[in-house]
Parts: sequence; C-alpha cells; structure tokens
Amino acid sequence: MTTATAPAPPLSGRDAYRDELTRLAAEDPAIVCLEADLGGKGHPFQAAHPDRFFNLGIAEGAMIDMAAGLAVAGYKPFVSTFAPFAALRAAESLKLTLGYLAAGVTVVAPYAGVSGAWFGTTHHCLEDLAVLRSIPGVAVAAPYGEQETRAVVRAAAASGQPHYIRTGRNAGYRSLPTEGTELPPVTWEFHGEPGASCLVSVGEEGTRLALEARALRPELAHAHLGYLDHVHLAASAAELAAGHRRFTVIEEHRQEGGAAEALALLLPGCEVVGVNAGHGWPTQGGDHHEVLGQLGLDLPAVLAALPPR
Amino acid sequence: MTALLDGPTGHPVTTDHAVTTDHPVISADLAERARQARRLVIDMAASPRGCHLGGSLSVLDILIAALHRAARGDGTEVVLSKGHAAAGLYAALHVSGVLAQNPAPVYGQLGHPFTGHPGPKVPGVRFPTGSLGHGVPYAAGWALARRLGRLPGLGIAVAGDGELQEGLVWETCQVAAAQELGNFVLVVDRNGGQNDGLVRDISPLPNLAARFAAFGFETREVDGHDLAALGAVLEPDRAGARRPLAVIADTVKGKGVPAVEGKAGSHYVTIDAARAAKWKRMIR
Repeated sequence: MTTATAPAPPLSGRDAYRDELTRLAAEDPAIVCLEADLGGKGHPFQAAHPDRFFNLGIAEGAMIDMAAGLAVAGYKPFVSTFAPFAALRAAESLKLTLGYLAAGVTVVAPYAGVSGAWFGTTHHCLEDLAVLRSIPGVAVAAPYGEQETRAVVRAAAASGQPHYIRTGRNAGYRSLPTEGTELPPVTWEFHGEPGASCLVSVGEEGTRLALEARALRPELAHAHLGYLDHVHLAASAAELAAGHRRFTVIEEHRQEGGAAEALALLLPGCEVVGVNAGHGWPTQGGDHHEVLGQLGLDLPAVLAALPPR
Repeated sequence: MTALLDGPTGHPVTTDHAVTTDHPVISADLAERARQARRLVIDMAASPRGCHLGGSLSVLDILIAALHRAARGDGTEVVLSKGHAAAGLYAALHVSGVLAQNPAPVYGQLGHPFTGHPGPKVPGVRFPTGSLGHGVPYAAGWALARRLGRLPGLGIAVAGDGELQEGLVWETCQVAAAQELGNFVLVVDRNGGQNDGLVRDISPLPNLAARFAAFGFETREVDGHDLAALGAVLEPDRAGARRPLAVIADTVKGKGVPAVEGKAGSHYVTIDAARAAKWKRMIR
C-alpha cells in the first residue's frame, strides 16, 4: 500500500530567496547577506554561513552603501529590507550604488505593493518600479512563485550585475510551468490564437489575477513578464507584438512608472490597457486582497478592462 | 611601485605606489606635495568653472597624509566623502603619483572625468561622492570587506564637519561601532564652514569628540595641517582594534592662501589668471 502525500506548499518569495541564497553561498564564498533588522529570526543564511551574515540594524541607506564597499572589494552582497525602505528611503543609494557605480549588489525587496496589507501605508510600496526602472543598468525582476524567485536569485549571483528583486510578503504562489531553469523575460502561460487579446501579468498578484481572469476567459493569451527594466521590457515588447495587438497589463503598482506605461511607449502600434493600483491610498485594514480591492485592483476590474468576447 | 594584493575572493586589488618608511625626509616630501597640490587647486579655481576652493585647501593635508598611508600597499582605501572638494582630491592624487595626468588644465572640461564632484572614472577613485554622507558607509563597507577576508588595510573616509549634519553619517557610525570595525577610520575636516556660512551658526557640533566616543569610537583630535600628526594617527595598521577611529582634524578653510584663509566666502571661488599667479606665489 502506498500513501499519497500532498506536495509541499510553495515557499513565499522571500523565503525562496533566503533558501536559494543560502544554497548558493555554500558554493560561492563571495556571497554575503545583509539585513536591516527585517530578515526575521532564524534566517537560514545566518545559520549556515554566520561569518557572512550581517544584520546591520535599522539602517537601510548605510546598508546599501556598505554593500557598495563590499562589492567594489570583490564580494557579491545581497541586501534585503522591505520595498518601501529599500526603494524609497534609500533611493539615492540605489541610484549611486546600483546605477552610477554599477556595483554588483542585489536588493531583494519583500512587502512590495500592498502586500503589507493591514500594516498600512508606510509599509506599502506602489512606487518601486518607477524608481528602479528609471535607474539605468539595473535588472528589475518581479518573479511569480518559488521557481522564478530561485531562478532570478541564481541569475543575480551569477551575473555580478545590479539587481532589484521585488516580492510580496508571506504568500506562496504555485509556479507557472516553465522550460529550463532560467527566468525568461516572457513566460507564455497561454499563447492563444494569433491576434487574440493578451493578458500581460506583472509580479505575484498581477499574475494571480491574470490566471483567474483567464479561467473565465480561456480564449485570452497570457504573457507573464519576469523582468521589468527597460532593456528586458524592450525585448519582451517585441515578443509580445509578434503575436498580439491588444494587451491588458495587470500590475500591483501605480500607473506612473509601471510596466503598462512603458509598454505603451514600446508598442506604439498596439493598444495597451493598464489595470493597476491607480492613485489611491488605502486607509483601512484588511488582508492583502482586501487592500487591493480598496485600490480597485481586483478581478472585476481586470474583467472590465478586457474587450468583449 | 604598484602592488597587487589578493582580495578576499581572489579578486585582485590594485594598490598605489608603496612607501615603506615614515622618515623625516618623507615628511618633508609630503609637505612639498601639499604645496604643489595647493598650487594645482588654485589653477582649478582659475579655470572657467572655478572650484570649491576653501574646502579643497582645508582638506589637502589630510588627503596627502591619507594617500601616503594607502601607498603602503596593504589594501587601504581612502574615500573623500566631502566630494565637493574634488579639486583637492585630484590635486592630491596627482602629486601622490596615483593620477598621472595633471587635472588642472582640463578640470571641468568635456572629454575629461574631472567633474566638480569625483567619480570612479578618475584613476584612484573607486566611489562616487558629492551627495554628502555616502562616502562614510562606502569606506565602512570597504573596511568590512577587508576584515571579512582577514586582510590588512583600512577604510578611511574623509568627511567635512558640515557633512556631519547628514543622518547617514551617524547611521553608519552606529553600524560601524556595532560591527566592531576597528579598521574603519573617519577623518573629519573640521574647517568650520559650509555652503551657506559657518557650521556654528547653522547647526553647531559641540563636543564632537564626545559624540563619537559615545558611539563607541576611539577619538583623536589633531591639527589637520600637521602632516606628522596626521601620519601618527593614520599610519598604525589597527589590526587588533575593535573600535572604529574618529580623527577630528582642525583645519582652516582656504589654508595656504592668506587672501581667503578662514573666510566663509572661500567656499566656491572663481578667479582670473593674474590672481591665481599671485596666490600661488604665496604658497609656502
């Protein structure tokens, strides 16, 4: 008799990051892990590589600048703190370290979007893509699911190039079927018929909403974007335009500086519609989905943005 | 002489020319370097762009001493955090033999990297500074890397006293003390001036040494124009130190040019060639 066991639930983005980085560091002595008091107790990297783990305290700007010093000296620093503190409080350090200096520093930013939910506006970050996309030379990734997160962490470690990796809080997402072990700029969940309207999903919740929308509208194509910086988006845009002309871009970000705005410029002959977090400030508690609903970023909004069948 | 050290990950770290003694002859040599550098800074003030003259002249002796320390070849890195004193840095790098090209004739010119605040395109400069505060954690990160690799060498940040109004400086001091970065040295060019006037009028910093001591730093107060005194605090390798070091170097804004010495108006200066020639003759 055999006993069926349920597959392990997928790790959240930040847990997948911690686990993958800990594995990579076993083989790569140049990897160091920096936290700013938000890495959580029992960080696996700290347990496995205590000499290369530094909780620098609540000092985000110093952490990123010190990472620059480490990178210039030959290390591969991975730094992590919540997206609002990484992308906004320490924005100038990102500009100088990841941009101008092009230091091989990877910033991993959980709590992106409104995944902080009831923790409130200070812990939300609907502006990080606008900031990071405007800094040349930074690979900006918003992986969906454990496999993609692991893949982009591996890519960052291997490349030595500056990366910003955006994740949510504790939610886990079932990975999309993929080929190979790398995170491609575009993952086609469903190609659809040539000329079919195409959902374009960004990040964890954008992709979750796209999958739910496609369950109701199975004729739609669905392209998931792994990377959102200009270089990757330009390549993605060409791939999108090869088969489709109308795109509905779903992203947990403000319209300004997001992927839809960028794709509209990159695809001048196409119709690009954005479903995003708009201009609001959630003023109530609630879980992640409920706070998204306060911003009008939910399944009805996605369906309303689609063309008729 | 150029030395190559193995970095912590096998990454080669290029160091500058090595000087192996602190003989009095060397001190005299450093004094001559400082005089040459002051003349170069005046040349840059006479460029069409002008330069941050007062702060460049106040910090020059600190930079000469720090670059001499780095020239030992042990992996010490000097970061000018008060990047607006770029003219002083370029001059100091040139007279120290790190920067072969004389920066003065092309300072601020298209096609050359000698901008009003320094960046890593300049030979001998690894970090971009000018937005105040950032050079301090850059140097602290460098120090952390050296310690992590069990390698010698210091991370030396040179900051202005006005710059200490930036929160990032103190954020880094907190981190450096908590991490016991004994190989991190923060030198404060205490010239008493800042862009809009005097530090004491805008945001005074009384009991500065006590402030650093309260953070857990060792502290030294020195005459920032005494090359021997600066050498005495910067030369030790600090291999066994567990507390970072703050060196408060008292300096004079515009040092070396009587017409501007101690004057807040020397912060940014553009002069003509005749005045430059006159001022250069006064350098002793």
